[in-house]
Amino acid sequence: MEHILLAAIALVSLMLTIQAAHVLYLMIYTWDQPAADTLARVPDVRAGPQLSFTAIVPARHEEEVIQQTIDRVARTDYPARLVQIIVVCSADDTGTIERAAATISRLNAAGRDNVQLVVFSDEPINKPHGLNAALVHSQADVVTIFDAEDEIHPEIFSIVNTIMVTERVHVVQAGVQLMNYESNWYSTFNVLEYFFWFRSRLHYQAKAGAIPLGGNTIFFARDLLERIGGWDEKCLTEDADIGLRVCAMGERVRVVYDHRYVTKEETPPTLTHFIKQRTRWSQGFMQTLKKGTWKELPTRKQRWLAWYTLAFPYAQALLGLYLPVAVLTAFVLRAPVPVALLSWLPVLLLAAHFVTQVIGLYEFTEAHGLRATPRTVIVMAVGWMPYQMVLAYAAMRALKRQLGGVGDWEKTAHVGAHRTAEAEEVTSRAA
Amino acid sequence: MPRERETILLEQDPVPRPPPAAASESEEGRLGRLGVSLLVFSIVTGLVTHGWNLFKYPLYLSDEGIYMQQAWSVLRHGKLSPYTYFYDHAPLGWLTIAGWVAVIPGQFNSFGFPVNVGRALMVLVHAGCVFLLFEVVRRYSGSRAAATLAAFLFNVSPLAVYFQRMVLLDNLMVFWVLVGLYILARKDGRIVTAMGAGLAFGFALITKENAAFLLPGFGYLLHRSIVDNSNRRFSASFWWFAAGAPVSLYMLYAQIKNELLPANLDFNLASPPADHVSLLYTIWWQLNRTASGGQGTMFSTLLHDSWMWKDKYILITGTAATIANLVLSLNARRREVPMLGVGLLAIGYGFYLTRSVLLDFYVAPLVPLLALNIGLCYGRITRYGKPIAVALLTAIVCALPLSQPHGYLVAWDSTGTRLLLADQYRLPQTNMQNLQVKWIRENIPPDARLIIDDDIWVALREGTPKYPNAQSHFKAASDPDVRDKIFHQDWHNVDYVVMSNKMRDALQRNNEGWIMEAIDQHGEQVWRIDRGDVHLEIIKINNTG
Repeated sequence: MEHILLAAIALVSLMLTIQAAHVLYLMIYTWDQPAADTLARVPDVRAGPQLSFTAIVPARHEEEVIQQTIDRVARTDYPARLVQIIVVCSADDTGTIERAAATISRLNAAGRDNVQLVVFSDEPINKPHGLNAALVHSQADVVTIFDAEDEIHPEIFSIVNTIMVTERVHVVQAGVQLMNYESNWYSTFNVLEYFFWFRSRLHYQAKAGAIPLGGNTIFFARDLLERIGGWDEKCLTEDADIGLRVCAMGERVRVVYDHRYVTKEETPPTLTHFIKQRTRWSQGFMQTLKKGTWKELPTRKQRWLAWYTLAFPYAQALLGLYLPVAVLTAFVLRAPVPVALLSWLPVLLLAAHFVTQVIGLYEFTEAHGLRATPRTVIVMAVGWMPYQMVLAYAAMRALKRQLGGVGDWEKTAHVGAHRTAEAEEVTSRAA
Repeated sequence: MPRERETILLEQDPVPRPPPAAASESEEGRLGRLGVSLLVFSIVTGLVTHGWNLFKYPLYLSDEGIYMQQAWSVLRHGKLSPYTYFYDHAPLGWLTIAGWVAVIPGQFNSFGFPVNVGRALMVLVHAGCVFLLFEVVRRYSGSRAAATLAAFLFNVSPLAVYFQRMVLLDNLMVFWVLVGLYILARKDGRIVTAMGAGLAFGFALITKENAAFLLPGFGYLLHRSIVDNSNRRFSASFWWFAAGAPVSLYMLYAQIKNELLPANLDFNLASPPADHVSLLYTIWWQLNRTASGGQGTMFSTLLHDSWMWKDKYILITGTAATIANLVLSLNARRREVPMLGVGLLAIGYGFYLTRSVLLDFYVAPLVPLLALNIGLCYGRITRYGKPIAVALLTAIVCALPLSQPHGYLVAWDSTGTRLLLADQYRLPQTNMQNLQVKWIRENIPPDARLIIDDDIWVALREGTPKYPNAQSHFKAASDPDVRDKIFHQDWHNVDYVVMSNKMRDALQRNNEGWIMEAIDQHGEQVWRIDRGDVHLEIIKINNTG
């Protein structure tokens, strides 16, 4: 029995080490590959406005932020006649509907007739259903999504127009970045997760042809969306799912991350909301894995990467259980030396992840004209293990929900913590 | 919604082009067909100079025996040492040797005397080092001639041949250091490159800790190679992390065995821990050893009596080249980064040699570092020369030491009248140790209790018959498990003492009093061989009366 336990510890250690090393590499991919880094940037020269855009803004209980968001999308640096804005809500969300309608009326009065409200009353009440409800009203060449709390860059349409026209791609994922890195102890880690995901990892996944797309600032050619039948309304991470379906069709996905033009967002306001959001993502990945879209990818390498990405929440749940075991094995249990040393490797890799996060903090703040302080690093050092445990808890929670057949949508609240007075002013000037 | 027809599409490539590759190397800097030929020539030369007469010269050293013995323990008992492992050195070196022996079909008996298996590995490691040295010099200097010269000196220097044939941790450490430099010299701006260099340096550290003295040079080369890159934060951090990872595993090993800290955190050097060993205590003890104590010798003594005598040319030329590199690079740091870097490497190791308690073979890592300096200095001097002139000059510089009767290739005989091949290619010194073991097998019963030197330790454990009761004299005098539990410091418990060359000096130096007493008061010489200044003996202890 003891031998079986030790063999299991050794095997899990080895697998986690390989997995952690690979994730680490994906985190630093664009920094490691100068060519990828260059490709990730926004082209300096812009094409003239050629494509038309439908911006779908799905909103649920977003009374606080919806008006600003509509204003922002309406005031981008792109010809208004080429932009269609659709705010989509479920019929029961009267508060958001009321605020959105008020803003639309105001814009109409100012001569802007390109904003409309779509209300759906059928089930399920979730984001992919809202997106599909809006899609049938789209008339543009390109369809994009902005979440209600998004702070988009005024040049975003111009940038995507340039990329789509010059590179002849039909799917573009532009950068999304959480900004409030000092709001609370976990916000730094959450911000950095986004930073590494959009700044590095997605570029690798796009190149490999197996990319789970982000939930917003994603641009699709409308005919492509229609051909694949829109979003999967039963999936909690419809964005990841549609990304893999697009890849399965052989479409090349272009990822662009340039800190000057990212869409800015906020971290969930409370730990409970954060755990709910993370649970949803983890369960969504589990659902997508079970659904098997990844099996339709053309090459073995693509299938492997997709499977590996979607299975990550399982590894995260395992990691939560494993960490105490590793520490115990190394310092308390009298395991044979090779097993104890092997069990230490994932811990070592975890330390490497932490180092990477700290460097990421400095890269992130430097890129956005902010300043990282030693205090933040100390908070990170203290919060690092708890954060891992929170992620592991969310993954285990997702696993429990998945096994229990619970698949409802736990929505994230938004309070607009990323919207600073200064940023508003800049945007107003740009508009 | 209509498309905007009247806009003008900017003329651009459909797919963005990747950024231009790093500036291509100059014609001279590229390896090319000529470079490959020179590289192959260098490696073959190294295999010949280091491999010829390998198993016969020099005499098997006690330290070679110790590392073979510890590799034997890894393979046969799954332990890092057959005796109490007290963290005198980190284990990667003999783990490597154990790995090598494990894949050789005949294992320890593949090439006759067991130490030979280790020596065969050393020759392969040397060939690897030649490749790395050649490429490091070529990449840093852009000169194939300089690379050839450096590799040539590294191959033929009698100092290098003498010590790099030996199964020493220093030689394996040098290999990892050169791997690290080779990776750094790629200059491709990637993080994994810096990480690979760091990992190699970490391996060097847990092969032999004196690699730490190369940190200033290594660190400078790393810094200069990444300072202008946008990913420098990642590169620097991952270098440190990768270098630290193997070291942390070593520390963890000690912790798992509960041997990291001394009992009661007592670092008092006057009272070594008696009950259990400690990694940190050993490090503290080694840091505080002075040249006047211990079993080592002073730098100046070894320099004059051994190293200069073996090869003064490379020591003098290498030192001069190091100084020249420092002077030239300090005037133009930006342009001459590698020269300053390799200069710092040699200075760092030189500092270690002058400050530390020394053994003769500690000089081994200095030779490739001096060769590096000579190569880069030569590359700088000949940078603007015509290729044909440089080639000719290089050939002459290489031929010069070979034609001199001072030990590179030929040497005068003892009468000073006849030129002979140099000792390293001719003398069969180890035959004496083979004869000693042969005599033991033919005349001493396998259950006899022997005190021996480490050079023949594995030979007596692996051959036929085996001598399971043969113990190292160092351990018989200092390891409580052997001294007090097997021999009880009593000559009655010893049947034979097998004396290696100069073992008596070691017995005196280490105060191995009870063994001396056994030899001098109760011993009887039963076998002896003398050749030149090498003397081997076997003493029978009359413990029955």
